[in-house]
Amino acid sequence: MSNLWIALVLGVVFGFLLNKAGLTKYHKIVNVFRLTDMAVLKFMMSGLAVAMIGLYAMRGLGWITFPVIPATYVAGNLVGGLVFGVGMALAGFCPGTCVAGAGEGRLDYLIPGLLGFLTGAAVWGLTYESVFPQISRLAAYGNVTLGQMWNVNPWLLITVFTVMAVLLFYLIDRGLIRKDRLSSTE
Amino acid sequence: MNRIRQLFAQEMWSPYLAGALLGVVGLLAVGLSNHLLGASGGFENVAGILGKTVAPAAFGNMYFNFVMPAAITWNVILLVGILFGGALGALSSRTWRWRSMPDKQWIEAFGPSRAKRWGIAFFGGAVLQYAAGIAGGCTSGLAISGGMLLAPAAFLFIAGMFASGILTAWVIYRARY
Repeated sequence: MSNLWIALVLGVVFGFLLNKAGLTKYHKIVNVFRLTDMAVLKFMMSGLAVAMIGLYAMRGLGWITFPVIPATYVAGNLVGGLVFGVGMALAGFCPGTCVAGAGEGRLDYLIPGLLGFLTGAAVWGLTYESVFPQISRLAAYGNVTLGQMWNVNPWLLITVFTVMAVLLFYLIDRGLIRKDRLSSTE
Repeated sequence: MNRIRQLFAQEMWSPYLAGALLGVVGLLAVGLSNHLLGASGGFENVAGILGKTVAPAAFGNMYFNFVMPAAITWNVILLVGILFGGALGALSSRTWRWRSMPDKQWIEAFGPSRAKRWGIAFFGGAVLQYAAGIAGGCTSGLAISGGMLLAPAAFLFIAGMFASGILTAWVIYRARY
């Protein structure tokens, strides 16, 4: 029971942060793909860096154990990502930002958006048994981390990721980003 | 105290600050519940619940009984939280209002038709959810939650998402890309 209260509170903070980062706006999502506004990338990469460092540190201290690692099956992860990118660039939202945007009073997110997700979920669940077993067998590595797969210390990977993120942020904020040619970018 | 109040009243925060705090939320999910954040999973559970009331035979399959059971799960409650969180964010900056169309850039790209926007929002939602099924999660459930654990799956997903997202945006905007 207390677990569900945790879910509720974390969800509220999650939705609040998506709103404050502006990711519930159509142009913020699409313009990361137009390479003219990198807020989505900044948000994702700073979140990843903080969470990586925290998680591996807490595990190192023996405070936590990891949950089940999301499974790697190369073809499915990649094809899923490819299809996902099409939907995201078209609609200008992803599942989390659509729900947060619905909370802001955006009716196009609340009604057709959420109905679209439920429809997609129903179709996925009904076709799962004929699609998933096949695709999840292709180049499957199971529930591994990069550290286990490559047999390297995870702190090396975390350091490389964090340094890359900071360097990328520096270059983006120094103006290494495309100029927008649209008259209205909001 | 006043500075905190000012920060909450701001409509837009630095994406670095918001992102870093999201990282903390991801950490807490694991630390407190041993769960991963993920938005798309909850939709599967809700679709199962609705499906079982409409077509119990079809939705009584292995997926909606065992893989993503038709039930109010941790992920469904998380979705409810996200909805309230979005509302709270908009209320705190006094930007909450009903609106049926997205920002001006949409109109510049697709025109003012509401039917078109709503059709694409529905279609896009369905495509996103099916794709999340294939990949094993969405932006939060796989890209962020998997990435923070250093799962290769997350980075493959992110690479695919950006490659096709860039291509799709280029097709939509062409001369104005």
